[in-house]
Amino acid sequence: MTSSQPEAEAPEQEQETVEAPHPLTEFANSVAEAVGGEAVITFDTVKVSVPADRWAQALTTARDEFGLVLFSFLSAIDWSNETAVGDPLEQPLEEEYIELICTVSDVSEGKRVTFSTRLDHDHPEVQTLIDVYAGANWHEREAHEMFGIRFIGHPDLSHLYLPEGFLGHPLRKTFPLLAREVKPWPGKVDVEGMPSEEGEEGEAAEGGEGAETEEEEA
Amino acid sequence: MTLDQDLVRHLSEVSVSVELQTPEMTLNIGPQHPSTHGVLRLVARVDGERAFDVRPVIGYMHRGYEKLAEVRNYPQITTIVNRIDWVAGYANEIPFITAAEKLMELEVPPRALWIRLILTEMARMASHLIFMASYPLELGAQTPLFFALRERERVLDLLEGVTGGRFHPNFNRIGGVKPAYGSGSQTRKLIQDLPKTFYEETRVAMDEVLHVCDQLEDLVAGNEIILARTKGIGVLPPEVAVAYGVTGPNLRASGVAFDLRRVEDYLPYDQFEFNVITGQNGDCWDRWWVRLQEIRESARIVQQAIDSIPSGPIQAKVPKVIKVPKGETYVRAENPKGEMGYYLVSDGGQGPYRLKIRSASFSNISILPWILEGVLVPDIIAIMGSLDFVLGDVDR
Repeated sequence: MTSSQPEAEAPEQEQETVEAPHPLTEFANSVAEAVGGEAVITFDTVKVSVPADRWAQALTTARDEFGLVLFSFLSAIDWSNETAVGDPLEQPLEEEYIELICTVSDVSEGKRVTFSTRLDHDHPEVQTLIDVYAGANWHEREAHEMFGIRFIGHPDLSHLYLPEGFLGHPLRKTFPLLAREVKPWPGKVDVEGMPSEEGEEGEAAEGGEGAETEEEEA
Repeated sequence: MTLDQDLVRHLSEVSVSVELQTPEMTLNIGPQHPSTHGVLRLVARVDGERAFDVRPVIGYMHRGYEKLAEVRNYPQITTIVNRIDWVAGYANEIPFITAAEKLMELEVPPRALWIRLILTEMARMASHLIFMASYPLELGAQTPLFFALRERERVLDLLEGVTGGRFHPNFNRIGGVKPAYGSGSQTRKLIQDLPKTFYEETRVAMDEVLHVCDQLEDLVAGNEIILARTKGIGVLPPEVAVAYGVTGPNLRASGVAFDLRRVEDYLPYDQFEFNVITGQNGDCWDRWWVRLQEIRESARIVQQAIDSIPSGPIQAKVPKVIKVPKGETYVRAENPKGEMGYYLVSDGGQGPYRLKIRSASFSNISILPWILEGVLVPDIIAIMGSLDFVLGDVDR
């Protein structure tokens, strides 16, 4: 357990923490304490969640006090019960939300922190990071068109990839892949009807075979 | 006679008294232009010979891989990520496969890691050699192209010999690498991972690559025109570079000795001796020079790896149907263009719940409006070329 603020809750993330103290625990806790968030280490990735109203402030602290000067990326995850494509979540969520993630790193030891914050699912908005990291500009434009997040204070949230006038936010889970609506994925045909692999659906022909050979020899 | 003299005097007075008008124009570069490495469009306001307010327009090659990854399973995504930075397709697979292996807590056999490392360095050489070919070409020098592409072909031949693909190898499997021979057949027990003559051919090729580096240095570094077009042009201070997320050789050219091969543990780079090359001034020249030295370092790493490659299995035990346990992680790797990373969120299924692809060129060219402010129009090409981006890596 690496959470530094016991009064804030971290429901589904706590089970991911490792039991033995991870070498990054101390660093993770010190960052979390300084920015007023809570830290989790998932598979060697330090993740610090902060409230949305302290987003820009937390990143400023990370840059100035911890030397995390290299802006790596900013993006989002749509935690949604309703999915138009892909598998739905195993356990439905009590509350849907957009998780904004931003990874920053130092340029000497390779320490990196992924900051995360919860945004409202229907009207996500948060302070822009442009003043903290100039590189956030394009990443925020991307997150804006793909997830519909409004970045307060961003000078130009015009489309980066999509044509002007494009409706919807493609990386939202509710956005359908229209090509698949019209016609099911043709690749499905390839993996059906192989005599040796009957009863195993969804297995990729090539990858599955490689693994299979190995397993049977070992 | 007198008339002519009058006319001359008159003309000279006119030309002196008239102030040269340089009305502001909008200059559109691309989307089809040899120096854009794909389809990138630049819209610049031009006043005389100076460009201001340069606005890159991207998205012509957006293929929506992040969305596509949500409806594909893990072995299929390896094929997709090959196409991100197609100049070094092999290197794109590594961080993705490592991320999936991390969530599955798989122990990859050392021989597989060594093979991955050798091929990654070959991809780096191929990518940098393309830069060695195209960059002088963009500045008007044709000869280095022939030298660089000849050796690049040699490196790609080796890659093809192992993986079967020059650009899109699709060679990594979760838990190891693809067996090159005997795969898929249960009757053939022999699995040969590297071609028979691979070691000797690689030794020869690495010598040739090191040799061509000397030749390229002779050709380019002694050329006054190239020096004049690149030295002191497009200077990128380190603090600006990191704020924009510029990584890789572009960052190291600005004097920041930051190499993910040294600080991350995705491949056993700690077993090898190599230098992290840095530049002094962060100008176009340094970016060229750093890449040339990096080819040399990569060749050295491959030479060491060929000598120290362990024997043993090339594939860890994995289930027939790959399912990645619930969890999330970010794995980044030092790709030829810079930091390439995948933020992988799995919900326990056969495919990711969300895959964020952090590609190097996207952040590297987000610096363009800053670095192209107020430069001469011909320098736009020199600076753009020196950043070494690939549009597939920008648009994903």
